Order: sequence, then structure tokens, then C-alpha cells
Amino acid sequence: MSHWKNFKKNMLIEDILTFISELDTLQVLAYFWPFFLLDMTRYLLLDFIVLLSYIPKRFRYCWKYKNARKKLYKERPLVSVIVPGKNEGKHIPSLVHSLDYQSYKHFELIVVDDGSDDQTPNICRALEQEGLIDLFIRNDVRGGKASAANTALTYSRGKYVIHIDADSHLAPDAIETILLPFYLDERVGAVGGDVRIANAEQSIATRLQSIEYMKSLSTGRTVASELGILRIIAGAHGAFRRDILLRLRGWDVGPGLDGDITLKIRKLGFRVVHEPMAVCYTHAPNTFTKLARQRYRWDRSIIRFRLRKHRDILLPSKSFSFTNFIASAENIFFNIVLDIKWWLYIIQLIIFSPDVLVIVFILNYILYLTANTLQFFIAIALLNNTFLRKDYILLLFLPLIPFYTGFYLRLVRTYAYLMELFHSVSYHDKWNPWKVSKIVKKERL
Amino acid sequence: MKQPCLISTAGVPLRTTLIHCIHPNAIESFDTHDLSFWLINMADPKAGWDAVCRIRRDLRVGIYLRPIVYLIDNATLSNEIYHAANGHIRNDNLSQQLLDDWSSKLEPINLWIEKLEQTKALKDTNIALRMLRLIASEEREITPFTTTHTISGYVYPILVPLFSTEDTSVFETLNFLLNQKLLTSNFVSKAHFCGHCDSAFLNFKETCPQCNSEDIRNDEIVHHFKCAYTGELADFRQGGRLICPKCEKVLQHIGVDYDKPSIIFNCNHCTHTFQEPNINTTCYSCGRTSEPENLILRTIYSYNITAIGENTAIFGLDTLFTRIMESKLHLTPIATFKEFFAIESSRIHRYQVSTSTLILIHLVNISDIYIRMGHRAKEIFEELSVIFQTTLRTSDVITALNESTFFVIMNETSPDHAELAVERLRERITELLGSNLNFTPRISFEILNIKPDIDLDVTLEEFQEKHAD
Repeated sequence: MSHWKNFKKNMLIEDILTFISELDTLQVLAYFWPFFLLDMTRYLLLDFIVLLSYIPKRFRYCWKYKNARKKLYKERPLVSVIVPGKNEGKHIPSLVHSLDYQSYKHFELIVVDDGSDDQTPNICRALEQEGLIDLFIRNDVRGGKASAANTALTYSRGKYVIHIDADSHLAPDAIETILLPFYLDERVGAVGGDVRIANAEQSIATRLQSIEYMKSLSTGRTVASELGILRIIAGAHGAFRRDILLRLRGWDVGPGLDGDITLKIRKLGFRVVHEPMAVCYTHAPNTFTKLARQRYRWDRSIIRFRLRKHRDILLPSKSFSFTNFIASAENIFFNIVLDIKWWLYIIQLIIFSPDVLVIVFILNYILYLTANTLQFFIAIALLNNTFLRKDYILLLFLPLIPFYTGFYLRLVRTYAYLMELFHSVSYHDKWNPWKVSKIVKKERL
Repeated sequence: MKQPCLISTAGVPLRTTLIHCIHPNAIESFDTHDLSFWLINMADPKAGWDAVCRIRRDLRVGIYLRPIVYLIDNATLSNEIYHAANGHIRNDNLSQQLLDDWSSKLEPINLWIEKLEQTKALKDTNIALRMLRLIASEEREITPFTTTHTISGYVYPILVPLFSTEDTSVFETLNFLLNQKLLTSNFVSKAHFCGHCDSAFLNFKETCPQCNSEDIRNDEIVHHFKCAYTGELADFRQGGRLICPKCEKVLQHIGVDYDKPSIIFNCNHCTHTFQEPNINTTCYSCGRTSEPENLILRTIYSYNITAIGENTAIFGLDTLFTRIMESKLHLTPIATFKEFFAIESSRIHRYQVSTSTLILIHLVNISDIYIRMGHRAKEIFEELSVIFQTTLRTSDVITALNESTFFVIMNETSPDHAELAVERLRERITELLGSNLNFTPRISFEILNIKPDIDLDVTLEEFQEKHAD
């Protein structure tokens, strides 16, 4: 039996090698165009080229960062750290603890409880009485994340506002580092902090998200930031100039409020950048079911906000900005249009090359695994000393990544796009209170 | 038929010749033998009230227990003065018939006073006994009234004239009578009193938790659903309407397009923002400011007399079993008893060579002895005291919580031996009361080995609750 298996295996390898040796350039493109023409170009080559310039520049201009830090400490502005959340009481003590060790001390912590029905109010009130939370606001009625963030913004007093998710905590120099871009360039209106997975060791789902965050968040957003097309600042960790937030009168109703406010800041003409060295650790969904729910919510927002609410960015107008156009168009193209490309590619293979389907699938897997491995090492190079030695264990999970991103995330994304396009499901999202969803749906916001 | 006596208060002309009339100065020398009630002219409320106090503070039972009826014109009387009397008659309606009706109505009180006089109780000096007798003679519930005229904020109108000073003596005396089981209490209310001067007049204020300033303002937070804008209600006010500062829409209906999720406080002094202000109180009397937890919280009760109380009111406090026990056994005050217990507990724990025992005794139906024996209960109690005296040892420490509950520390005695002593006590008491009165006493007791982990207060409290009548 094992002899038969070995024989089959050798046969397959031989077939693959024969298949490769017989391919000419056009055939390579015909069989593997999604990889060579799109994914490798956009996510590997572009990242590699941009970071090849960014990483040395970062070292070269370390004096600029030093000066920015000097300016920051000379001015010593008050920073408002705002934490909106519901039923997140259990995470708040570790967040408060991480703030206690910040290198930059001149900040106020404002926690807004958005109608929790657990012990959150008691935990936060106790921390407020201990002086570890400067202002705790308990909203008896749930209003949604945007309203909670806006409540915190109303009572913030700092020059800068750092928005942190309640289930996150910060690296000791995170506040200081995330503020530096404001002192490097006055045109910067908002800075996205890097987000890492706090519970990476909890499950396979969290391990895979950890790798994904390194690639798409740390590397992807740094590259987008360098190209001037960063379109989102994560709610888990983002710094804003308070005057800009007040000018915008805060966040709009979500889901997808992070991307929405980023685009609004861009529309005002401010730069939006990513700071990979400002590290925040957040709790990721620990099962694939929970993760699917989270991504279903996130992915719908691209349709709702890019295609509907901020469609004007794509159209010629007085306030047209090329970088804003690219930021939005790139997002729409690589996420929505290229999502369709996969299904077209699969159909193409089934119709035209059913006899080599297995071979093409295996070769695609090898190509994407190689690309992911390279991206992983590029991310390590970027993250430098903020990448922890223990995270090398993630290398063992790299073989699963092509399945994770190629099948699992793609399926969830396609389903989310279709549901949002045809049923506008985000307007029924339980993430917002029903009263808010009702109004938002009625007004088609 | 007994007749009332009108007290003519100084400077007030009397318009009736129907009844005997005296000057307030003549109250002390007045022969009350045929007196049905004091009729006090309240045309001058102050002078009238002085007369009420003069009567109630007299030592003779015939005078101070006698019912009081006000003769009123148009003067408005405060609540505590009005309810200090047994009733009132309007000057316009004054007639012999009305006076006779009142005499008949108040006859039970006079009969009770006569009964008391038969026991040779002519003069009372003990304030607790005077209060008890007044309550017993009235045969009604003693209920408190709120008032702004005394700093305690509550008065028991009928008891007020007994006391010459305005302090907490009324509450303390009532508490003593309650502890002796001579009164029962019913919950009426709870009230805070100043920890310094006992005044009930306190100004509760919300203050800033950061700077303690009282100069704070509060506003409701408004959340506009459509645009998620959140701000204070004042931000939304424009003319008579609420308009969202972000999207400029007019807010229509709370709960439909906006809501008010919470309230926020702002300090005008230090600009601190908060949701939970501190609470402070300032006393109107002494001006001291303190936190609510430092105030005295008292329960305000109404009171009724018990069976023991009725007998004690007739035969005097000397007939109380605890009084007799005290003279025979030298009862230790409860506070001293607790100290003894703590010392004994430590001693046992330190040396661990011997055991001592705590006995808790409750004589369940002792009040029945009062009812059956009246003033002769004293003789029975003396016999009972002798039983206690001979059964317990001179080294034992005894205290009484009230008439029926006793606690004993038996040093160097194991629980088994203590049980023998208690059984002996029970047998002797049963024999005494059974053979002489055909009365079966009910005695409950608990025996505990004294250990350091016993919380005496909790133990005594639990025992009391368990054996509450």
C-alpha cells in the first residue's frame, strides 16, 4: 500500500516537473496570471521596493526622529487617550497598567462605557477612584461605538487624541512614538499605530492572524503610508489632532468608522501616516467562527463607505485629490475587483485546464507560500527590534497561510461584499443599537 | 363626677365661669382628688405651653399624669404643642355638656391614676419611670412628629414637656425602656443626625471630588443617532429647539432620533469633569461639614407599652427582675462583660490547659409572672435571684441584656459541667414556680465553649434574634 502511495507521489512530482519544464512565458502567465501579474506585483514587489527605500531612510533620518522627540518633550502637550467600549471591563486593568509604564507621561485617560451590562462600570469606577482613570463616563443607554468615542472626544482636553480599543494595551513607548510623525511633518493630521496580536499563542486562528497582521497591517500600511495612499487608521490604535476631530465633530456611525474618519481627514487635506514602531497589542478572535463574524463586519464597510459614502473621492470635483483617488481606487480595485478575479481564475482553470488542475493548484500553493515567507521576512526586517524572538514560532504556521488568506478570508470577503451590495446588511448590524441602525438605514448613511 | 380645672395663663382674661380656675403658680398645691383633666387656656400659646411643662414636670402622679385639654381661640399651635395634649376645646363651643363629655372620655386615665395612687406611688423622681407611667396612662401608641422647632427634627409631643432640656434624653430614655422590654417599637423612619451636635437639620450637597467645591453644574449628555454626535444638552439648544451642532438636524423625539445616555457634572472651580459627585453635609446648627458616613443614622420608632411595662408602670422599676438580680448577684454591665470575655478568651487560648464556658439564658415567659403577680412579682423574683445565686458561683461573671436575657461566663468549666449547672437552674426554677404558682416557666439556653474565634457581639445578636419574643 505504502509502495503504491510512494509511486503515486513520485508520479505527481514527475508530472509537476514535466509541466513546469514544458511551460513557456506566455503559458506561465496564462496559468498563473493572478500571482505574477497582480498579487506578486502589488503585495510582494511593491512592498519590497518601497521598504527597500523606507528601512534605510528610517535609519538615515534617525536624527529627524530624535529632533521630533526633542520637540515633543519640549512642548509636552497633553494627550487624551480615549477608550470607548462595551463589556470590556476585564481588559481595562491591563490597559491601565500598560499606560502606567508609558515613557510619555503627560496624558489623560478617558474611558467611556457604552451601556455595559456586566461588571465594567464597577471595575472602571474603582480605577477612577484610585486615580488610574482620569475620567470614566458611564452611559446607561448603549449608543454604539461612534457615540462612545464622541463622548470621550467631547470631554478630552489634549492637543492629540489617541483612540485605543478597550481590549488592547500599549508597548511602553507607544504614546511617545505615535506622536513623533506630528512633529516630523506639520501636515500630518492622523497617525496609525501598529497593531499586534496580544493573544497570538491562544489558538491557530490567532497565530494566523498574527502573521496576517504583520503582512497586511505592519508592512501593508507602512507601504501605503510611504506611497501617500493610507486609507485607514485602526480603531485599536490611532492618534489624531484633536482640532481636526473637533472640526469633523467626531466619528460617524459605524461599522467601518475608522476608515471613514481617515478618509474625512484626507479630504480636509491632511496627511495620514502609519507608524510601525508604535506598538499596540490587541485581543483577536480566537476561533475561526468569531473571526469570520469580525471580518464579515469589516469587509462590508468597504462597500458601504468606499463605494457609497465616499464615492465623491473617485469623481472629478473642485476638491479632487490624486492621492485620495488612488487610496480609494486601489482599495476598491485590489479588494473588490480582484476578489472577482479569483472566481474567474477558478472558472478558467476548470473549463480550460481540468487535466492539470491539481498541478496548477499545487504550484499556486508553492508560489503563494514562497511569497508569504518572503513577506514574513520583509515584515521582520521592518519591525526590527519590535519583533519579538518568540514570534519566530510563527514560521511553523506559514504553510497554512495560503489556505487562510486564499480560501477562508476570501470566502468571508466575497460573502460580505455580496450581502452588502445586494442587501445592505450593514444597516442591520447588531454592532449598532437597533435605534441607531433604523435611522442610519432610513437616511442611507 | 370629677371636674376639670382651668389654668388661667397670665394676662389672658377668662370668659367662662363654668369651671374652677387657678393661676399656673397654684398647680403644685392643687388638690387633684376630684380633678378630671387640666384645661389650659392657649390664647397665649407660650404661657399655655409653660403651664403644660409645669404640670408634666411636677413630681406628684396626681398632677403630672392627669390628662390635659387645650382651650383654644384662634391661636395657631405648632404640631408638637397641639399633640402634647389629650384634646382641645374651642372657646366658642365651651359648655358644661362638653366638659362633662371630656371628663367621661378621659375617665380611664383617671382610673389608672387612682390605681397607681393605691400603691402608695405618690411622687416620681425617676425620669424613666415617669415616662413609662405617662405612656401607660395614655394607653395609646406614642408616635413621633417631624418638627422644625427642635434640633432633633422629631418629637414625641406627649413626652416633650417631661424634659427641661432640649437634647437626646427623650430618645435615650425610650431606648432604655425598650431595652428593658418595657416598650415595643415599630419602625417609622430613619434619619441622619449631625455627629457633633445631634441636629437633624443638615444640608446635603454634591461637591467636586477633586477640589470639594460646591460650585458644580450638571447637564445631560445627548446622543444624536443619525450622526453619532454626542455633547451636552446646552450644545444642542438653539432658541426653543434642539439642533445637532454636527449635522444641523432638528432633534425630534427622545428615543426615536436621539437619547440622553447619562448625566455629567462639571466643576466651575477647578474645571474637573465627573459623573459621581461627592456628597457632603453641613449642619445648620453647628455649621460643621462632614461626609454622610460620619453622620449618626437613627431609626425613628413609634412605641407601645408591653405587659411587663404595664406592670412596671404600676409597681415601679424596683420590681424589675434585673434590679433584684443586680442587688443579689452584682450583675456586670454588658460592656464590662465583653471585656471579661475577651480576657478569658485570650487566657484560654494562651495557656490551652483549661476550658471555660459561655452560657446564654432566655427566660421566655417571664412577663407572665408580672401579669399574674402584679407587685408581688418582686417576691418571686427575689426567690429566683436566690436560685441564680446558689446555682452559679461567685467567680462566674453574669450580665443581663434585659429583663429576660442573661449571659454567664463560667470560668474553668467545661460545657458538660456548665450544662449540669444550667439543668440544675432550670429544675429549681421549674420547681419554685410550679409548686407555688402552678406556672411552667420556659427557659431556653445555649452553651458555648469559649474560643478566640467566637465573635461575642455576633453570638449575642444571633441568640437574641433566635429567641426574640
